[in-house]
Amino acid sequence: MNSRRSFSRIWAAPIGLIALTCFGLLAALLGTGIWHWASWLCLAIPLGIGIGYWIRPGNKKPV
Amino acid sequence: MTAAASLRTWYWWHKWTSLVCTLFLLVICFTGLPLVFHEEIEHWLEEGKPYAVVAEGTPRVPVDQLMASARAQYPDEVLEYVYFDEDHPTVYIGMSPSHAGDPKLTHYMRYDAHTGELLHDPPNLHEEQFSFMGLMLALHVDLFTGLPGQLFLGFMGFLFVVALISGVVLYGPFMKKLDFGTVRKDRSRRLKWLDLHNLLGIVLLAWMMVVGVTGIINELSRPLFAIWQGTDLVELTAAYQNTEPPTQLASADEALRAAAEAVPGHRIVSFSHPGNMFATPHHYMVWTHGDTPFTSHLIIPVLVDAATAEVTAVAHPPWYLTMLALSQPLHFGDYGGMPLKILWALLDLLTIVVLISGIYLWLARRRATEARVTRLMQAHQHSGVAIAKSARASSSEPVRSSATGGRS
Repeated sequence: MNSRRSFSRIWAAPIGLIALTCFGLLAALLGTGIWHWASWLCLAIPLGIGIGYWIRPGNKKPV
Repeated sequence: MTAAASLRTWYWWHKWTSLVCTLFLLVICFTGLPLVFHEEIEHWLEEGKPYAVVAEGTPRVPVDQLMASARAQYPDEVLEYVYFDEDHPTVYIGMSPSHAGDPKLTHYMRYDAHTGELLHDPPNLHEEQFSFMGLMLALHVDLFTGLPGQLFLGFMGFLFVVALISGVVLYGPFMKKLDFGTVRKDRSRRLKWLDLHNLLGIVLLAWMMVVGVTGIINELSRPLFAIWQGTDLVELTAAYQNTEPPTQLASADEALRAAAEAVPGHRIVSFSHPGNMFATPHHYMVWTHGDTPFTSHLIIPVLVDAATAEVTAVAHPPWYLTMLALSQPLHFGDYGGMPLKILWALLDLLTIVVLISGIYLWLARRRATEARVTRLMQAHQHSGVAIAKSARASSSEPVRSSATGGRS
């Protein structure tokens, strides 16, 4: 139970981001129009998350 | 293997695969930035005359006429390749001193598709390597050396992929006690960059993996194509095996018409002239794209008999050539308009941050280790000096006391 919780705590976000990126990469390849917009959005999210956490002012989480 | 020992192994792999490939990857990432926008930059830097603006419905000049004009321009050379620009009414004709020579000796003339005028006659690819975009491409793809450089950089790409995989394995234990996205900015600089390296590494993971793997596949394009030429293509052209190549060639326009009829709806991208390394001595090799978003990325070659202009075969590319064809858009990021290119460039910039933070962490760790060693050595020396001092003190005490006594 505990190990399952810690697994999802570590890996839920990465797996979600991988899924988003893969969907984004394929959407523009397999479709046009709305699928291009879906692709841009899905690829912008990981980018935004990366930069967002980077520039977020000092997070003082307990270590 | 214990968990700690296996982690140490993964760490070893991550460190060494990264260290070996990072410098090349940095060059690839920096040169990749302008390459993402190569169409825009090339259009902006374009030399030569502009194409004529004509009324809609103006017929195009026959390809045979353009080819004759190219031959008249370079009577001692052979025709290699004809490429139809998708976005502009221009046609590129590639010629070289001989079919068997270095592919970089090929040069491409740009023609106006409506007037048949020669618009630009640039130097060959070997010299083009030293133009700005040529430089970017050579540093990105083959380090000016052709196939050996492609294979070498492909291997660097392979090391990059191993570094990504080992990095993911290390991500778990590093993040055991941390929330996703934690960047400890209030502690040491090394810790902050370790967190950023982990954060950006995992956020970009899927993109870096896709661009890395497709990069490797693109570097293998020549060997993969050679496999096809040595197997499927041999079968398709078995009937021609013991015949002499035709001396009188059929019209290229007729060959293109026959190819278009064989694959209705397809767009003809280009063709390789009989004798070119990508055609056969007996065939025009016409390269076409499919008519759906997906098949428009695939390349369907149509073999047209060079003597009769009749279609010999529509080749159905095997899985590895399909993989190669799909690896191009997925590596170049040129399949979803300008927004996708901008995203590609930003993802590339963040990859550079991952690479440089990786080098910094290695240096900082080395410095930390060295500092620890220095401290240990100093501690050792201090204790050594202390022992020596106390030894000397005990033996020289009378001398010193007498000396001080004498002086006072």
